[in-house]
Amino acid sequence: MQKKWWGLSLSFMLAAGIAGCGGNNNGNGGTATKAPEAGTASPAATAAADTEGAASEPVQLKYWTDDRHDQEYIKELINTFNETNGENIQVELTVMSENYAQSVDIAFTSNQAPDVLRLKSGNTGEFVKKGYLAPIDGYLTDDIKTKFGSVIIDNVNRFDGKVYSLANTGLTLRLIYNKDLFDKAGIANPPASLQEMVEDAKKITEAGKAEGVYGFALNFKSPKSAFDRSIREILSLSGYQGLGFDLKTGQFDFAPYSQTIEYFKQMYEDKSILPGAETLDIDPLRAQFAAGKIGMYLSFSTEPGVYKDQFPTDINWAGALAPTLDGQIKGTSEIVSAGTWLGISAKSAHQEAAWKFMQYMYGDDVLKTYHEKGFGIAVVPSIVEQAKNPEIAGMEGFLVGEHDSLWPAVPNVTPEGATYADAFFKYILAGGDAKAITEDLNTRYNAALSKAVEKGEVKVTPDAAFDPLKPQGE
Amino acid sequence: MIYKWKRLGENSLFLMPSIILTITLGIYPLVWMLRYMFYDYAGYGEALFIGLDNFSRLIRDALFWESVRNTFVFAGGKLLLTLPLSLLLAVILNGRLRGSNLLRGIYFMPTVISTAVISVVFYNIFNSYNGMVNTVLMKLHLVSQPVDWLGPKHAMLTVIIVAVWGAVGNYMLLFLAGLQSIPQDLYESASIDGANAGRRFWNITLPMLAPVAQMVIMLAIIASLKGYESIMVITEGGPIGKTEVMYLYLYKLLFPVSTGSPVTQQLGYGSAVGFASAVIVGAVTGLYFFFSRKMNKVY
Repeated sequence: MQKKWWGLSLSFMLAAGIAGCGGNNNGNGGTATKAPEAGTASPAATAAADTEGAASEPVQLKYWTDDRHDQEYIKELINTFNETNGENIQVELTVMSENYAQSVDIAFTSNQAPDVLRLKSGNTGEFVKKGYLAPIDGYLTDDIKTKFGSVIIDNVNRFDGKVYSLANTGLTLRLIYNKDLFDKAGIANPPASLQEMVEDAKKITEAGKAEGVYGFALNFKSPKSAFDRSIREILSLSGYQGLGFDLKTGQFDFAPYSQTIEYFKQMYEDKSILPGAETLDIDPLRAQFAAGKIGMYLSFSTEPGVYKDQFPTDINWAGALAPTLDGQIKGTSEIVSAGTWLGISAKSAHQEAAWKFMQYMYGDDVLKTYHEKGFGIAVVPSIVEQAKNPEIAGMEGFLVGEHDSLWPAVPNVTPEGATYADAFFKYILAGGDAKAITEDLNTRYNAALSKAVEKGEVKVTPDAAFDPLKPQGE
Repeated sequence: MIYKWKRLGENSLFLMPSIILTITLGIYPLVWMLRYMFYDYAGYGEALFIGLDNFSRLIRDALFWESVRNTFVFAGGKLLLTLPLSLLLAVILNGRLRGSNLLRGIYFMPTVISTAVISVVFYNIFNSYNGMVNTVLMKLHLVSQPVDWLGPKHAMLTVIIVAVWGAVGNYMLLFLAGLQSIPQDLYESASIDGANAGRRFWNITLPMLAPVAQMVIMLAIIASLKGYESIMVITEGGPIGKTEVMYLYLYKLLFPVSTGSPVTQQLGYGSAVGFASAVIVGAVTGLYFFFSRKMNKVY
């Protein structure tokens, strides 16, 4: 019996030992680019250590990103930084594949947070609320403030007066159209108004239906994703905020949204939309566009890169400004996902070193090359001035021009019941009372807004003088 | 007495890993969820106690009740097709068929393959614009226009077909195990008495299979009511909520996916929806057990 107990105890100790020896790889399933080990430091670091005569431990920083399109360039940058920073800082890059936000949540909960994080407009506010990010105001010199000042925006990269990230690139949104199909249908120019878009879609479908060609498509499998890449831009160029918020009153008003929806509904009734678009994802849509089966759709400035690498195509395509409600431009095309790039973890023990790395990444050369390689469209004014245009086919239609600008951030609220995208998409497919749907959305969204304001989660400042042609003021 | 205590200590030691895992991965999350049902909580910051507000919201939440309706349609369709089909296959493969082992493996294969992979394949088979099904139907001139298999009219039927394809092999194997436990002498006696194949199936196979069938049907009911993975991949609950089942609705509340603009988790309300969904599944299972209690009587 004694032996049995000894055996069992030993088994437990072994099991505990094995568990304790388990490697810690952050449990994120990402791919990591290891910084050189202390013992095998880069030549520069080794030389520095030699001259100092004391091999101090390197400062290890972890940088997490969910960007995959630029990872080779980022790896190069990090290797250069590791070799040249002169302060023995070693950055390890981890590229996430899926569920970035959840991985970050788990990392912070389990005290394995990275030191530097890739921030996007979709997650920055949440990360700030959760206390993941350290403000960087203390590091902002006058030069940095001058360089980035015009793209420091409340509720985008500045929250409650504190700055958490700086801008690098943004995404412009355009109508993407197949020139050959337009020519075949006898259409000279991309549509300027929604009525023209409906008519063009019909003409293209009539001319090409026999070959399975349709005038229009969107990735309606996720209505929100579809509308936020199309209607958002149509409305901002038409002079309205693109997510249903009225900046002048500080309330939600889906009436302009509802007007736009009528034209989409018309295209659906005309059967000008690719069959099966109700459950179409963005990549299958792109594959069909690359195959010359879709006349036009609306999307981000990521598309030129997609048709260069992901779905190489021979079709003659281009990007143009989105159509507007009545053909008149009464606002500016909103540049989205701008204002944030990198941020520092509030839990990092090496915030100074993390800032050093951020400073390097926000250097003129890095930002300029990032734009020129086509990884994103620069929004920092001094970079826009000096950077050359990216040499990617189709990118010329997406470059920031006179009709593009950043818009103020709008409150993010979660209503009870269906979102505006689901409610309006249901109207397109199944019909109903558009006025009642709009009123219901206004009621539910404004109720959620009041609740969020009451809880202190959201601040709303109506701007009666808001000018959609100058959304950032003068 | 001392010996008994030692034995108890030893046994407890062996049970410890399971007990620890059950507490940490089963009981603790359940208690956590039961607590947050009464809070307005987004997963961070302050959890605000709101009493029964989540439940009053649940009662007037049309999306939830629509998802409950969809769940019953999906589960009903899946069960009505899967159970007879898997029993039929099991009976056929229980005979002395040549290559029955190979067929068994083939039918069981979908159970082994990842649901996500199966769903992606079926999405490509059924999609309207260049799906294989439409291509074949149009080549055979059975349809003149592509059928919108994933559209509002047919999406539910499509996801049921995929679910049936994925489940038949699994239940077939369980039925097969049940069939093989029926003593052969019964069939031999019945044959001597002049009973034909249909009679033998009706009077011997079905009654003897009843206890196994009761468990298989229960497992099938629970799996059908809780299944959402393939739907998530194929239609994401769409179009316009036509295939949004209960647990997919719950998943979206707890793990909302951002498509660019920020999204907020609704852990408080999600917990209430999770509880309500579990009660519904439990109630259906309980009712099934009540009405099927006679099946447990082995003849």
